[in-house]
Amino acid sequence: MAQDLLNRKQNMSGLSIEGVSKTFGTFRAVDDITLHVPHGTFVCMLGPSGCGKTTLLRMIAGLEEPSAGRIVIDGEDITPVPTHKRNLGMVFQSLALFPHLTVGENIAYPLRIRGVARAQQRQRVEELLALIHLPGFADRPVSKLSGGQRQRVAIARALALSPRLFLLDEPLSALDAKLREAMQVELRQLQERLGITTIVVTHDQREAMTMADLVVVMGEGRIRQAASPIEIYRRPADAFVAGFIGSTNLLPVEVDRAGRAVVLGQAIPDLALPAGMSRGLVSIRPEDVRLQPPGDGAIRGRVSFIRDLGGTIETFVEAGGSTIVAVTTPRERDDIAAGTEIGVILPAEACVVLEE
Amino acid sequence: MRREPPRTLADYAPLAFPAIMLVVFFVIPFSTMIAVSFFRRQQGGFYTPDFVLDNYARFLSAFFGGVLGFSLMLAVMVAVICVSIGFPFTYLLTKASRRAQIVWLVCILSVLSLSEVIIGFAWSTLFSRTAGITNLLVAVGLMAEPRALLPGFGAVLTGMVYQALPYTILVLYPSLVRLDPTLLEAARTLGASPLRGFFNIIVPAQRNTIVATLIMVFVFALGCYLLPQILGRPQHWTLSVLITDQAIYQSNMPFAAAMAVFLVLISLALVGLTLLIGGTGRQHHDA
Amino acid sequence: MRKLHETRLSRRAVLAAGVAGAGTLAMPSILRAQDRSLKVGVYGGYFKDSFDANIFPEFTKATGIAVESVAEPTGEAWLVQLQQAARAGQAPADLSMMSQTSTLKGQETELWTPLDPGKIRNFDDLLPQFVAKYPDGRVAGIGAVAWYITLVTNTDVYPEAPESWAALWDPANRDRLGLLALVSNSFLLEVTAKTFMGGTDALDTEEGQLAAFEKLAEVKPNVRLWYRDEAQFEQALKSGEIPMGQYYHDVTGLAAADGFPVRSTFPKEGGIQDSGNWVLSRASDKVEEAHIFVDFMSQPEIQGLMSRKVGTAPTLKRDKLDLTDEEFAAVSSEIEPIIPRYDLYTSKSDWLNQKWTEMIVG
Repeated sequence: MAQDLLNRKQNMSGLSIEGVSKTFGTFRAVDDITLHVPHGTFVCMLGPSGCGKTTLLRMIAGLEEPSAGRIVIDGEDITPVPTHKRNLGMVFQSLALFPHLTVGENIAYPLRIRGVARAQQRQRVEELLALIHLPGFADRPVSKLSGGQRQRVAIARALALSPRLFLLDEPLSALDAKLREAMQVELRQLQERLGITTIVVTHDQREAMTMADLVVVMGEGRIRQAASPIEIYRRPADAFVAGFIGSTNLLPVEVDRAGRAVVLGQAIPDLALPAGMSRGLVSIRPEDVRLQPPGDGAIRGRVSFIRDLGGTIETFVEAGGSTIVAVTTPRERDDIAAGTEIGVILPAEACVVLEE
Repeated sequence: MRREPPRTLADYAPLAFPAIMLVVFFVIPFSTMIAVSFFRRQQGGFYTPDFVLDNYARFLSAFFGGVLGFSLMLAVMVAVICVSIGFPFTYLLTKASRRAQIVWLVCILSVLSLSEVIIGFAWSTLFSRTAGITNLLVAVGLMAEPRALLPGFGAVLTGMVYQALPYTILVLYPSLVRLDPTLLEAARTLGASPLRGFFNIIVPAQRNTIVATLIMVFVFALGCYLLPQILGRPQHWTLSVLITDQAIYQSNMPFAAAMAVFLVLISLALVGLTLLIGGTGRQHHDA
Repeated sequence: MRKLHETRLSRRAVLAAGVAGAGTLAMPSILRAQDRSLKVGVYGGYFKDSFDANIFPEFTKATGIAVESVAEPTGEAWLVQLQQAARAGQAPADLSMMSQTSTLKGQETELWTPLDPGKIRNFDDLLPQFVAKYPDGRVAGIGAVAWYITLVTNTDVYPEAPESWAALWDPANRDRLGLLALVSNSFLLEVTAKTFMGGTDALDTEEGQLAAFEKLAEVKPNVRLWYRDEAQFEQALKSGEIPMGQYYHDVTGLAAADGFPVRSTFPKEGGIQDSGNWVLSRASDKVEEAHIFVDFMSQPEIQGLMSRKVGTAPTLKRDKLDLTDEEFAAVSSEIEPIIPRYDLYTSKSDWLNQKWTEMIVG
């Protein structure tokens, strides 16, 4: 209890989610989640659909009521506070622009609600339009905007009141790939400029990697891993995270009588399984896999397919009933053709051992 | 995608069916009515083809002007009340569980199956002194003695609202059920209470639906001719009651037709006016 | 029983009001194949069913003439059909049951073959109002069915029966009356004239009609319901919701017999007697059979049968009938009836209707 209190004091600044659950009937959409987001952090909640990430976001917004737990912002428990008193900005997947209002009226809506003087409304709208690179758009009807422009207007509207929390639910999913990538960068830059605590829900791991300070990978209502993007990538906590973030090779590993870690019949020197673990999975990113002519110390395999993407080359190797994918650049490329017998090296330092 | 302008007669073929339907079910009956409205009335039930303005002249009197005014006022009130009740109700209905929605919609549909006569009789019983709802109020001690709530304007209005409300809800439902639920949520995150968000986001966003529903209920109420008779006093009889009297009981088709034509024209003018006002409102936003 | 009454009620009201609804063409039903036959138009629904069940078989048994009964569409529509058919030499029915107003209208175009009083044995015993005559005295039609509209009251509210139509004007009866909504089916102008103006002759002139309207307007504060639908008034009368009004004599009697606290009173000025005639289309060549039919229908026994089975008031004088006093009282009265001024509803119907509507709505 005393420890709890101490933690809370340290975590006064920022958003704290404390033991929050949400059940719909017998379905546990969110299952006892605890998470601290320091002030000014850009968080991406990542996971497959149905993992509970949107429900968690909606609970933070007050649009859903938690079945258990509490949500605290800057030391204030906001769990019982209704949405409209939480002072947050939210961008919905649908964007939810008000169709009967102009761009300016949409952005000014939260100001109007709070009775801000017209002149000030106008000024703030101009500021925000400049911020989103749409100056002079105030009097346009929202129906006349392009997808990217609508996106920006939704963002500007959510930021109009300088909220203490900026929430985005799959904000870029409606955009085409190119625009999405550009918006990811823009959104991150905007957030850095404003220093606002931001939570984005997404199922796109590239989006998460691009924007986030903190990536929260969710699965089946629980947090599977919460860490920086690079740590998530390099040190996935489990097979689920490893498989969800980027592509990875997941290969069975076991300890032989001599105590060595063996993958596909080949002992990997310097790879140790945690104490008490006799079998598991080893995760290794394709770019870490090395290929060489067959020989001692290498897993024997046969090249089954080569995908030459120009910038990178993916080599698919069949070995011991598994497929190992290796990614190389053309510069590194050996002259390999499909059907070639080949040796695969898994550098121990790149291998992450996971429970099965 | 660019549309090719139709070139040959065959290109117009898809229009044939709707065009025929329009002619058979609208143009012919309505033209007949217009024609009959100019025929010469013969006392006691017949008419001869002619072109006389007597039927219109008879209508242009303070008496019929008063009846027309009352009918329009009543229809407007019914429309406004129905939409005022029906819109929030339907909105909340679309938020309910699927099961609850089905139960409600089935109940509403079953009210639709009631004829005007049955509705009239049900309400005349409910409003009666001997068997009506005031007896309940007496039983719970809220009233000293039961009293009749009909005939009267309130009874007519209640009956007509009751009859038109299911139509109102069924017209509003498809549009509200498709309404993006995040609109209100967005308003809430932006600082609007749910009630406030409902009135300054949901209602204006559905303005076209509301206007269309108002018009539909207005026209529907204008055609109502049994409830004013059953629940009202003669001063609450609408023009439709008098048209029915002329057509059915007096066999005066030309006069009935003239009144009906007049009623249709006035309704169309009002509908046009509503759309015009609605249209300029929208242009303001488009500008 | 109830249902029967209601059906018959509305059928009769339709006849009384002279409704010109959309007519469905008659489906002839042949009772028995015979050499001699007659097509008889009867109002569809209650009347046709009762006549098919109780009256026509008796006629065929007695005379050997088969009856093909034709369901008439209501009111003016049948008159129009008969007129157009006659022009083409056709008769959709030989004899038809025809409202008094339609009988008068048919007379204007000589649509009805004059009937020969000599071939109708009981002609002299017919009450005078049941012989419709051309202006020159030829007989255009003979009474077919008749009924009374009387002063009805709820016995719980009115322990004493009212004696006069003047009760409608009594300020004590404020907001207590149910009256028929149309000038042409309530016959209240005639009631006013008979009660306060010395008789329906007072309606001969426009001044007289206006005076009657003026007097009738005094009734308005007493009227709770101007009804077109009889069931609505009947229900309100039984419950005491609307304890007084005008209604059908025989139906009220049956409701009283069923135990409802209602009574029908023939005021001293008389009940309102409405009726329909048998008329013969001029395009029909069944003149002889038609006379046999009308003669048969005008017999005391058949009139008695109709009173008992169909509930109509007899067309013959009381002393010629085999009805018991009770049976007679159930459908009629010896108090001189108020006979509607049908002539007014052909010549001045629009004017009367306009004045009437303005009176009650205004």
